[in-house]
Amino acid sequence: MEYVYSVLVMIGIYTIMASSFNLIIGFGGLISIAHPIFFALSAYASALVNLHWGVPIPLAILLGTLFAAAMSVMLSLPSLRISGDYLLIASMGFQLGFVEVIKNVDFAGGAGGLTGIASIYSGPSRSPAFVVTTLTIAATVVSVVHWLTHGEYGRAIRAMRDDEECFASLGRNPMAIKITIFAVGSALAGLAGALYAHYFQFLSPEQFGITQSALILTMVVVGGMGSTWGPVVGALLLTALPQAITFLNLPPSVMAPLQGMLYTGLVLLFLFVRPAGLVAKRLGQ
Amino acid sequence: MNAPRAAIRVTDVSKRFGGIVVAENVNLELRSGEILGLIGPNGAGKTTLFNLICGIHTPDSGEIWLRDQPLSRVPVYRRARLGIARTWQNIRLFPTLSVIDNLLMGPRRYPGEALLAGIFGARTRRADAQAARERAEEILARMGLSDARDKTPAELPFGQQKLAGMARTLMNDGEVLLLDEPMAGVEGQVYETIRQVVRDEASAGRAVCIVEHNVSFIRDLCTRAVFMFNGCIEQSGTMEELLASDKLAELYFGGRS
Repeated sequence: MEYVYSVLVMIGIYTIMASSFNLIIGFGGLISIAHPIFFALSAYASALVNLHWGVPIPLAILLGTLFAAAMSVMLSLPSLRISGDYLLIASMGFQLGFVEVIKNVDFAGGAGGLTGIASIYSGPSRSPAFVVTTLTIAATVVSVVHWLTHGEYGRAIRAMRDDEECFASLGRNPMAIKITIFAVGSALAGLAGALYAHYFQFLSPEQFGITQSALILTMVVVGGMGSTWGPVVGALLLTALPQAITFLNLPPSVMAPLQGMLYTGLVLLFLFVRPAGLVAKRLGQ
Repeated sequence: MNAPRAAIRVTDVSKRFGGIVVAENVNLELRSGEILGLIGPNGAGKTTLFNLICGIHTPDSGEIWLRDQPLSRVPVYRRARLGIARTWQNIRLFPTLSVIDNLLMGPRRYPGEALLAGIFGARTRRADAQAARERAEEILARMGLSDARDKTPAELPFGQQKLAGMARTLMNDGEVLLLDEPMAGVEGQVYETIRQVVRDEASAGRAVCIVEHNVSFIRDLCTRAVFMFNGCIEQSGTMEELLASDKLAELYFGGRS
């Protein structure tokens, strides 16, 4: 049963990750691969302020989330001033660089990982309580992303993505919208990271590599970029699929490359066959 | 009594792209309530001048003024918020938005653009949104586009796209209106509507500048015209004076008959 709970928590966490990444790439048209690093930075920040300074866990999660947002501005502000392409390049450096930093910082546990992280809940109902919390937060995040991308703000996001120069000539500030979207998306990734840290109570820098970027991108592409429900379906499918493969009892040396091939293969397949993803957005949405 | 200061003043503006001169010591005044025609052959620098005024290009030298405010350090979006509105030669409606949503992107103050202000000032945002919607409906009716309000730009014939582009610009409700070839490719009712709208906007006190190849349209509407060639202002005056110019006659009509 514990296994089922952990899969459900992961579905919740990946739904937050995929929905928030969809806000950035699918709605905002901002191409970045650094999404997992904001997850990691918040996970570490939340765990460490709780561990070292005794900050209560809910406040630690909030601080971690805000830390991820602040760090995202550090990445987006200088790179977006030049052009959108620079965000992709800078995000690669950001992702790879910070993983190395985490590996080499002793107080964050170094390459061996950070252990002894406190859990929000304790006792026999810990896991079900976590499932309810994570899935509720995931549903809230999906609603927030939906609210942001529809209505007046969503209209501005779509117009900006359609024609940035014309958008600016109408009095709208494209930079402000891009930085806001990127910060909100990264903050939500941070929220997922902090939840993860206080559920699994262990963090290792190896978890936040490029493979994670690929996985989240796959969820968004397979589910449907720029649609509210696409990332939810993608997260559900791609959290369940690797779990299904584990029942094949393959050795780890085969499993890891197999998963990588699966993600890459799915992205290629969907981009060729069904670029709109499983949940194709309605026209004009 | 002093003459009122021009809405837009372009003073000694020059701009080069590499070795190509697109504006050379351009001096221009655009006054409130007037319709100024900007004519010249392709590549003369007319659209570039619009781009300089609305901030897409920054001049290498010289200054552009809105009333008494120098604009060189003001970014594109702020210039629009100050009341400089423009249309585009190739219309550039947002393809994924409906016509009404295209118009709703146009007001100087966009409801909810600043996310936090939008969340915490929900009442102001709703009031702004309501006001913008009413204004958009009014402009659509004036343009004869009410039936097209929910269509996407691709679903409209060219003439209506042109009208929708102009309608979006009118949402700015500012002091300056820059129209880039509003008549290119239109005829009949659309032509008449645009002509009427331009007249009305100028009568309402807006400073209107039109880039146009259609000489009869310029002659019919403009109080004053400027002839550009190779990035320079060759001549300015009434349209009749310009038409007397040999150079213009040569460029437009292949010489004076």
